[in-house]
Amino acid sequence: MNRAADQSQTNPLREGLSTRAVPQPCSIVIFGATGDLTHRKLLPALYNLAADGELPPAVTVIGFARRPKTDDEFRKEMEEAVRNFSRQAVRDEIWKNFAQSIFYHQSDFADESGFKSLAQQLEKVDQERGTRGNRLFYFAVGPEQFEPILKHLRTAGLNKAPEGSWARVIVEKPFGTDLDSARELNRVISNSFSEEQTYRIDHFLGKETAQNILVLRFANAIFEPLWNTRYIDHVQITASETLGVETRGGYYETAGALRDMVQNHLLQLLCLVAMEAPSDLRADSIRDEKVKVVRCLRRMTADEVAIDVVRGQYSDGAINGKSVPAYRKEEKVDPKSTTDTFVALRLNIDNWRWWDVPIYMRVGKRLPKSGTEISVHFKKAPMVLFNKETNEANVLVIRIQPDEGISLRMQAKIPGTSFRIEPVKMDFHYGTTFGKASPEAYERLLLDAMSGDATLFARRDEVEEAWAFIDAIEDAWSAKKDAPELYFYPAGSWGPEQADELLARDGRAWRRF
Amino acid sequence: MPAAPETYSLGQPVAISDIGAELKKLWQEGEGAMTRASLINLAVYSEKAGSLEKNTRLIAKITENHACRALVIGATRESKEDRVEAWVNAHCHVTRAGGKQICSEQISFSLQGPCVKLLPSIVFSHLDSDLPLYLWWQDELPNEMDPQLWAWVDRLIFDSQTWKDFDKQMRLVETAEQEAKQRIVLCDLNWTRLDKVRYALAQFFDHPASHHHFAEMESVRVEFAPGYKSTAILLIGWLAAQLKWKTNQQQLNGSCRFLDSNDRKIDIELQEKAGSPIGEIVLNSQSVKFCVTPAKCGDLLEVSRSGEKETALPQMMPAQSNDPVDLMTQERLRGGPHRVYLCAVSAVRTLLGSGGSPNRH
Repeated sequence: MNRAADQSQTNPLREGLSTRAVPQPCSIVIFGATGDLTHRKLLPALYNLAADGELPPAVTVIGFARRPKTDDEFRKEMEEAVRNFSRQAVRDEIWKNFAQSIFYHQSDFADESGFKSLAQQLEKVDQERGTRGNRLFYFAVGPEQFEPILKHLRTAGLNKAPEGSWARVIVEKPFGTDLDSARELNRVISNSFSEEQTYRIDHFLGKETAQNILVLRFANAIFEPLWNTRYIDHVQITASETLGVETRGGYYETAGALRDMVQNHLLQLLCLVAMEAPSDLRADSIRDEKVKVVRCLRRMTADEVAIDVVRGQYSDGAINGKSVPAYRKEEKVDPKSTTDTFVALRLNIDNWRWWDVPIYMRVGKRLPKSGTEISVHFKKAPMVLFNKETNEANVLVIRIQPDEGISLRMQAKIPGTSFRIEPVKMDFHYGTTFGKASPEAYERLLLDAMSGDATLFARRDEVEEAWAFIDAIEDAWSAKKDAPELYFYPAGSWGPEQADELLARDGRAWRRF
Repeated sequence: MPAAPETYSLGQPVAISDIGAELKKLWQEGEGAMTRASLINLAVYSEKAGSLEKNTRLIAKITENHACRALVIGATRESKEDRVEAWVNAHCHVTRAGGKQICSEQISFSLQGPCVKLLPSIVFSHLDSDLPLYLWWQDELPNEMDPQLWAWVDRLIFDSQTWKDFDKQMRLVETAEQEAKQRIVLCDLNWTRLDKVRYALAQFFDHPASHHHFAEMESVRVEFAPGYKSTAILLIGWLAAQLKWKTNQQQLNGSCRFLDSNDRKIDIELQEKAGSPIGEIVLNSQSVKFCVTPAKCGDLLEVSRSGEKETALPQMMPAQSNDPVDLMTQERLRGGPHRVYLCAVSAVRTLLGSGGSPNRH
């Protein structure tokens, strides 16, 4: 997570300047350079890094895509994208310089000769721009494209770096659609790149508060003694979106909320909340602890899925006073689709720390409010003294997005002569406390990949263990006989009633979001 | 029509004994939703005329990004009157997310005559509990300081660029450090002024393949604006300390010489030139010239390296603003101890001068 100390020994001028690993000059080859991800996230992130002085001058971006285009045309397209999506205003002086580091390489992903010419272009860049043989390949394409690209990279010898240099690959989600496809994908990747060279990106982990979970837990002595079954009643994780599937109907039909959000983002957040303290901050030390959490997740039988998992799909409704159509009426969606746009789950982690502490997760589209929060609900104080009258427990809330921060609910006496107790909230907002705006998740993650820090990227075993857990649920849902029902909820509501019942039967309720 | 100048008032005059009560009233009488926020206690001390108003303006700006309990102290040591006056005020800003107003409290004191000695008791009685104390000392430190003052200071902020006698002032700062019950972090805004150029210079050597240039360094040239020679010397001190150079020849007409660990000579040239506090910086190794120059737009640095077998790849990097609010913001964001600063000072202490200001020529 923090390798700055090691690097400052080699560059004495870095001492005291950086508390993070320093990125190295490299060529970044983006496969799918004309796609949405490149326009909305990758190029704006790289521009912001350049504007903040975080990018080594030699860093070179090569867009690889099928459509014929000149370097200048590609630069112009990227300029427009950066002007539209950058978190900070584009400065002409900075853009002019940055644009000189952007090139376009036209080729079909299946065309071997396109990769040979890419290798030649990279060598030229190494000589002219000082990227020193370091290559970062970013797969901003669907997984079906991985195999031909990886095969040709290997044939062109681009999966191996000259001595003293490195070659790395960043893979975007989805990392498969089930355990078998994930294993196959990992096998395909591992044919060309080793696990140490592979960076599976989950942008949730690049968010400031996600990283702060470890700091909150392990840099503050007050929480850790309480962070267990003795003091925690349950944990809730909510990721809600007001948006529907927009233009992603085709993809969403093959994924659904469980695969799209729970398998990766939500389980990653759960790992950070539930993991044991790592022995140090090396990437593998942290990932070793995370994967143990996924391994301890109690696998569900088909009967348990019917009881502990609620799947839903939005019907016609309204968001912010505006009517919105049902999922089945969305573009590229089957009118009889049974795809889940909402999932609520009750999970159990079978280890000493979390024994008998249910974890409730819900994720959904077309919910009333957008945001991602984790809430840790502590056990109630004994029902004596003041607590005879009140029934509120302490709740620690970690807000991942949009208003990143942490709050703690506790009881306080209302001023006056009587002893009336009310819950109050201690609230910490990143935006209020620290004037500096947090970098976008992609900025942080790109820098990490350039620095060789894999802490915030998912490892092969984490991904496969997560799919093994998810597959049990998907299998139950797709069973021909006695498959659990799909419940419908009006867009703009908090999901089907059955999701509330999931907690109500345990004597609990979803936190007001 | 020209924009009306922003005005900043010291706020409500209060009796010293009523400060707590008046602050409470301030919140009770406030309109709309407000959140009082505080991350640090920031005490600002100055003996310059008009400093209370000037520092109130600075605090108003600083609190836009750094909520704090501000204690602004204006002192007139020589006054025959023995008088203490106080005011309370709040600086409220709408958050980036919009809606909520985040407010920081300011308590201002005017100390005249013998009561200047009461400074520690005044500061201590109005600290926001459990929060660190940053003391921003804007003048030269007097010869005799109340040792009590250092008891609670976490970070002492000063600007050595304004010091007339660096060595004497540094010795006073060191005394303060020794008298403190806890470790005080020394924060020299003159050092903060170098943050961005240090980043720009350091990035040239991030790749191990560049490290051989350290042993091949031949000369360094630094331009500085009038009054900022000490800033340039601190920069040289940083290079010397981090690259293990030792002084070989004392300053002579703006130049001096260092020896590296192999006793190779490195010539240093300091040139005064109007412009940014630190102007162009050139590091010449045997084969490559590393250059950092302020860009014309003023808030960027042009960074490039060039050599016989190299294509120059100029890059723009952020430049350090010389505005005190920006320097304070930068200092606040950086945090941590300043070991590297102390090493830099130690490497050039003789050049920074004793008895004569390095900023005077």
